[in-house]
Order: sequence, then structure tokens, then C-alpha cells
Amino acid sequence: MNPEETFEDFLSSATSMEVAGVDTEVLIRGEGEPLLYLHGLSGLENSTALIDRLARNFKVYAPSVPGFGGTQLPAHFTGIDDAAIFCLDLLDALGIGRAVVAGFSFGGWLAAEMLVLDPQRASRLVLGAPLGLPTAHRREAHVTDIFMLSPAQLQEHMQYSAPPPPVDPATLSESQVERMVRNTAAASLYGWSPYVNNPKLPHRLHRVALPTLVLWGEDDRIAPLAYGQRFADALPNAELRPLAQCGHRIEIDQPSAAAQAIVNFACASAAIEEPAE
Amino acid sequence: MKVWQFSEQAYHPAFDEPGSMRVTLPQRHCDPAEAGRLLNRYLDEYRLADELGFNIMVNEHHAAATCMSTSCMTTLAILARETSKAQLLALGIPLANRSNPLRVAEEIAMVDVLSGGRLEVGLVKGAGYEVFMSNRKPTNFVDRFWEAHDLVLAALSNEGENFSWEGEHFHYRVASLWPRPLQQPHPPIWMTASSAGSAAQHAQYGYTCATFLSGAVARSVFAGYRSAFREAHGQEAPDERLAYLAVISVADDRVTAFARAEKMKGYFATASRLEPQFRNAAGFLPVKDTVRMMRNGPSAMRPKMRDGNPLPADPSIEDYIQAGLMFVGTPDDVYAQLEQFHDEVGGFGNLLMMGQAGTLSHQETVENLTVFAREVMPRLAELSPTDPGRDIRFEAFA
Repeated sequence: MNPEETFEDFLSSATSMEVAGVDTEVLIRGEGEPLLYLHGLSGLENSTALIDRLARNFKVYAPSVPGFGGTQLPAHFTGIDDAAIFCLDLLDALGIGRAVVAGFSFGGWLAAEMLVLDPQRASRLVLGAPLGLPTAHRREAHVTDIFMLSPAQLQEHMQYSAPPPPVDPATLSESQVERMVRNTAAASLYGWSPYVNNPKLPHRLHRVALPTLVLWGEDDRIAPLAYGQRFADALPNAELRPLAQCGHRIEIDQPSAAAQAIVNFACASAAIEEPAE
Repeated sequence: MKVWQFSEQAYHPAFDEPGSMRVTLPQRHCDPAEAGRLLNRYLDEYRLADELGFNIMVNEHHAAATCMSTSCMTTLAILARETSKAQLLALGIPLANRSNPLRVAEEIAMVDVLSGGRLEVGLVKGAGYEVFMSNRKPTNFVDRFWEAHDLVLAALSNEGENFSWEGEHFHYRVASLWPRPLQQPHPPIWMTASSAGSAAQHAQYGYTCATFLSGAVARSVFAGYRSAFREAHGQEAPDERLAYLAVISVADDRVTAFARAEKMKGYFATASRLEPQFRNAAGFLPVKDTVRMMRNGPSAMRPKMRDGNPLPADPSIEDYIQAGLMFVGTPDDVYAQLEQFHDEVGGFGNLLMMGQAGTLSHQETVENLTVFAREVMPRLAELSPTDPGRDIRFEAFA
């Protein structure tokens, strides 16, 4: 995305396609090996810089998950498993057998759930501050409850960089406000309770045995580094890499570092995976 | 006109604590002995209301200093034996916050038989902040509400064999109410509305439609109900299907009535003390409603006064009267205010009277109820029934 490009411009290049009956918004950018990009709790809105950098090395496929952004929410969708199956349907619809999969926050959880169902669909996996593991034990909370924060507190907690100035919804178009509201409602649909996690995920992550890079902001005020370490430990073949000056929104705070880490990891592990060819 | 006494049964000693009165207010600020004294006091006032010829309305909230009634049906189970004449209205049961609607049906049936069939049941969606306590999912809330409604009504009215229920949200092998309700097919059902659209849905079912402290909006709520009722049932909606809730302070002299109204005003000040993120939990309202609310801004939500201006930030008693949220003064004043409002909104058959609110004391509440019952209630029968052919004075509120 060039500096003058607004998010609306960025979105205007999105493709609309039907995925197993769901009207889906997918941003497709760049050329190269396919990379499935799965967005975080606020939808594609914060991902423009990261997607743009990834598009220099990959053909990036960045869908809005059902309920988020411009993608329809089927009436029967109630949880993360619906979204995980949707992602597999999306790969089928795009004709992609295997892709590099990169998911951030909510999208990291979704990537893990999708690969639990079908581990063969990813060649390499990058998880940026993934949620999805149990977020608390009884009275001890491990992950900040975003639904209990005021809009201002939420912005402060989500990123290391200065939070954006508050936006007066009265100054936005109806479709812009609708996008914001849909993103919030979708985060609630998938993450209200149990709070952004699937209690069964820790018992299933053994199936996701491919080389995995787990990126984590050292200043993550939503899910701390210790939670990230647990996530990396639960995966058979994962490396945790802390990022300095970085909060939960890695895509906002360190898009260049994250993109570089993804490119390096994808190429290096490719070399390890296919040495004789 | 049926008049219903209502109190939120506040724990008012906590009103001095800073910050929110709900969700986040620590329970250590509640002295349970004082809570017990207050709850017994409010029940005494309900018993008096029964003796004075009022009907009775109770509500419920959770994690709130403004309302200690955490279960409509628990409160009404007590009042079923403490009272003998009053209709007993739960307004309402926040149905979609209940994980087990069949238990709701059981509670309804039990209180109905205990009270000799005096129960009336409000099934409500409830406020957006209640999902923080019930922890039920805010999304698909309305779907869940209607499935629970269908199940509760099916259970209450069942005179055949026991049945099973495999719904989208609820699943039961056996639905069987012991006891089943005395009133058949079921106790009268109430719902609440703050727009013509939601009132229209209630009209199709023929349920009683109440609107709370909505002032000028009551006019469009009632008009929406009447027109949908006419369309669905081919006749005019009886006035007794419409209800309006307001705060009322009446005394033999105006000075006393206004002084008490100042104490009751504490209800408005405390009920609204809540951090913004709890007002409308993520995904609670349908997307289009949240979009409209966000784009209109907060002032659009404020009730309007007769001059068309929104209620100011710190309204006076006079402002509240002009907005139709309070009726205050001597019996003549209050009757005149009620008559004007009744006329402006096109008539209604139930006055839900907050006869106790805020920090109003027991003795003051007793006097308020007693003067109202003696001086105002008999005159309300004079209010002309709605003439379906007449024009409603829509211009009365700008």
C-alpha cells in the first residue's frame, strides 16, 4: 500500500467470491507462493501495511472471516469451528492445496483450528500472538478481557504505538460504521465465552506438527509473552520469537519486522523441508 | 386505568460510592444486614400497595446497587402469600439471559398457583449490560429469546402429553410442569417496547405492551401497537393492552411533593451510572440498530421535552415533568399532568407507577401511595377511553 492509499482504496481491490454458499470478501495481492493471511480481532482494518509487505514475496490471500468486514455471516455460525471449516472451504474454492499460513491474534487461533482439522493444508505456519488456548484458570486471568474495556482502554491495550485518535462515528459513512460494528459483533460471536479460546485446543495442537514460528510482542498487554511460550510449547515443532517495541497488534506495531520474519522463516524451513530437490 | 406500584428496591446506601452502580461495583459495599432491612421494607410497601388497591410490578437486575431484586419470581413468590387482591406482574424476566427456559416456565407456574392465578408475566430481552453477568452470548440474542418464548408458552399451555423439544438453542427430553399454571392457556404475557417496530410485534401476539420512561416516544410505540393490532386482529386494541411507566410523587402540598421528587430523582442519576462499554455488549443489538445509534450520537437517545429539546444533562423536576417521565405535585396537579400525557400519547390502560424510587424513605413512600390511592386513583377512571376515530395530538411533543 503506498502512503496515499486509504483503507477504502485498499479494500476496493478486494475480490468477492462465493465460498460454500458464503459471500466472501478476499483481498488478493502479489505474486508467488500462496500465503493465507488470517486477520485479528478487528478484521482486515489494521493489516494493510503487513499484507502489502508480504505481497512482495507471496501471493497473499486475505479473507474477511464470516461476520467480519464484507463477508456474510451464515445464520448457523456459532463458533470457531464454523470459521475453521470455512477456511478449508476457501482454500478449496481458490484451488490452493497447500499454502503458507499466517494468522494474527484471533486469526492465529483460527489458523490453529483449521490445521487441527487438516494439517496438510499448510506448508509453513506463522502465528502472531495467537489466542485460542485457555485464557484463564478459574480466578486467574491470563488474557485481558477486551469486552470489559472502554473503547479508549481497548486501543491503549491493543498496541505498543500511540493509539489512534478516537473517531466520531457521526463523521463516518454508514458502510464504514457498519464494518466496525460487524467486526465487533463477530469478535463477540467467536470469542465471548469461553473467552477467545477453545478448551479442547491444547489437546489437539499435537496434530499441528509442521515447522511453526510464533511471533510475540514483548509489550503485549492483551496476552503476555508467558501465554505465548505456552502456545509454542503446546506445538510439536514451534519456535517463539519475541518482538521488541511491539504490542498485541503486531501488524500495526512491527509490520516490517513481522514480514521479514515470515519471509525468512518460510524460505529457511522450505530449504530444510525439501533438501534433496 | 389499572395502577401498578413499582420499586427497583435499590440498595441506596451505595449511591455515594464513586463510579458505576452496576457490573463493576464491588459487592463489599453491600452490608447484608442493611440489604435485608431494605428488602423487607420494600415488601412491606408492596403489601400496603395491595391493601390500597394497587396492582404490583417487580423487576430484576444483576450486580446492581440500583436493584436488589435479582429474581422476579423469588420476589413474587413472597408477595403471592403477602397479598390477596393485587395482580402480580413480573416485568420482566430477561428470558434470553436464562440458560434454562424450562426452569422459567416452572417458576411461572409455581407462582401462578400460589397466588391463585394473579400472576402476569413480562418476558423481556433485558438491558445490554445484563449479559456481562449471565455470560450468555450477546450474539443471536433475539433468536434465542424467541425460541425460549415459544418453549415457555408451549410448556405453560400444554394440556396434552409431555413433550420433548429439540430446538436450535434448547434441548429437552421431557417438558412437564408440576404444578402447571392455574391460568390457562397461560398467565397474561407482557413485553416492553421503545419503538413502533417492536410494539408491532407484540401486537401481533396480542400481548400487553409497556414502555418505560419514554415520554414522547410512548406516542409512537402505542400508535405502532394499535395499527399492528388492528391489522392482525381486525379490531381496535383495548387500552388495557398498553402500559406506561413513570415516577410519581404526590402530596397534599406541592412543596412536599417536589421535595420527595428530588429524592426519587436519584433513580435516574444512579440507574445511568455505567461505563460505556457495558451499555451495549459487543454484538448484543442487531448490527443495523448499533450503526444507527452510533451515527446518531448519544443525545439522540435522550427523551425530549414538550418544547422539543432533549432532556438536559442534569434535569430539574420540572424538566422531567415536561418530558413525561415524572408526574409531581398535589393530587390535582398529578391528575392534570396524567390527563394531558394520556391524551397526548393516545391513551393507555395501565399506569406503572414508580411510587418508590431513589432514596425516598419508607414513611414518604407510604404517604405517596396513600395519597395517590385516595386522591388520584379514583379519578383516573374519568380519563376518557380512547376514541379510535380521533386524531392523536402528535404535535403535543415536538
